[in-house]
Amino acid sequence: MLLNSVILILREVLEAAVLVSVLLALSRSLGQGLRWVWWSLPLALVGSLWFATSMDTLTDALDGAGQEVANAALQVLVFVSIVVVVFIEGIWSTRLGLIMRLVMVCAVSLALIREGSEIWIYVSGFAAVPDLRTPVLTGSAMGAGIGISLGVLLYSSLRALPSVWQRPACLALLALIGAGMVMQASMLLEQVDWLEAGEALWDSASLVSEGSLRGELLYAVFGYEATPSPVQGALYMASLVAMVTAYYSSRFLRKRLNEQ
Amino acid sequence: MTRLAGIILFLLWLPTAWGKTPVFEVEIRDHLFHPEEIHIPANTKVKLVVYNRDATPEEFESYELNREKVIMGGRKANIFIGPLEPGTYPFFGEFNPKTAQGRVVVE
Repeated sequence: MLLNSVILILREVLEAAVLVSVLLALSRSLGQGLRWVWWSLPLALVGSLWFATSMDTLTDALDGAGQEVANAALQVLVFVSIVVVVFIEGIWSTRLGLIMRLVMVCAVSLALIREGSEIWIYVSGFAAVPDLRTPVLTGSAMGAGIGISLGVLLYSSLRALPSVWQRPACLALLALIGAGMVMQASMLLEQVDWLEAGEALWDSASLVSEGSLRGELLYAVFGYEATPSPVQGALYMASLVAMVTAYYSSRFLRKRLNEQ
Repeated sequence: MTRLAGIILFLLWLPTAWGKTPVFEVEIRDHLFHPEEIHIPANTKVKLVVYNRDATPEEFESYELNREKVIMGGRKANIFIGPLEPGTYPFFGEFNPKTAQGRVVVE
């Protein structure tokens, strides 16, 4: 049970930690500091608890599709927040600092709600069993510790890059994370038959299994799927196109504004 | 008015009746899947209904099927899978991965 808890919590924390680290690194390189992240914690905590405690009603809502639709909506909203972050970065001036921090708070809170609620459901469900309390709590703390450490490592690596590379590196990672979120959302909608699944585009499970450490890391950053459906693939590409559009249109806009 | 409501209900019911998505049921008891092996037809979309008979929550998860869903204690969950190529697709309970193991055999 101890090892299970470590792995389970690590998986959940890692996904969120990657996004938070990249946003923090971007925020620092824009001179916006790290303090805004504290604002997202109470929001995420309240959100996750509410999400976890209404999981019963949520699951049965929309003819049994409620859980997936709610999770997919959260992920699409995180994606939208990331697109806005990329856009603001393109027209950046220090006057936009407050808006940028607010959008980042939004992205982090929404991303933490899903992961946080799953952690809460697991920990509260199994810590209630007397024999399991100690291993579940110890394992969860260890998993969270490892996940957060990996996030700190990613943050430090991004900050250690030469300064001209920091912002492009953060934006590239954000584009991949965002597209991964949309792909996850489409998978959830296929799960409840709101989207047609179709046959898998390819099978790379023999190359990199989703359950392996490499697979999990790739999943956290790219939303890696060994057997993506055509809809998942198409939406992944569309999300990347949306990111690139946000990147270039904001730069075009800034150039225009500077000329005037 | 009642006739209109009747017609609307009938029209809403039609796709479910015609869609004839086959339904397969699985139970989780003592952190084990019953049955452990489900046989489904190839290249067909099917609906899996998973009943969690335990008091503790479980998460149905499968990398091969691209599926993941939290099922609270004493509740059920609908999961659509397929169309799939013939083969074996393992699934597990993420909260009890050592014991809760099963597979979907597509044939």
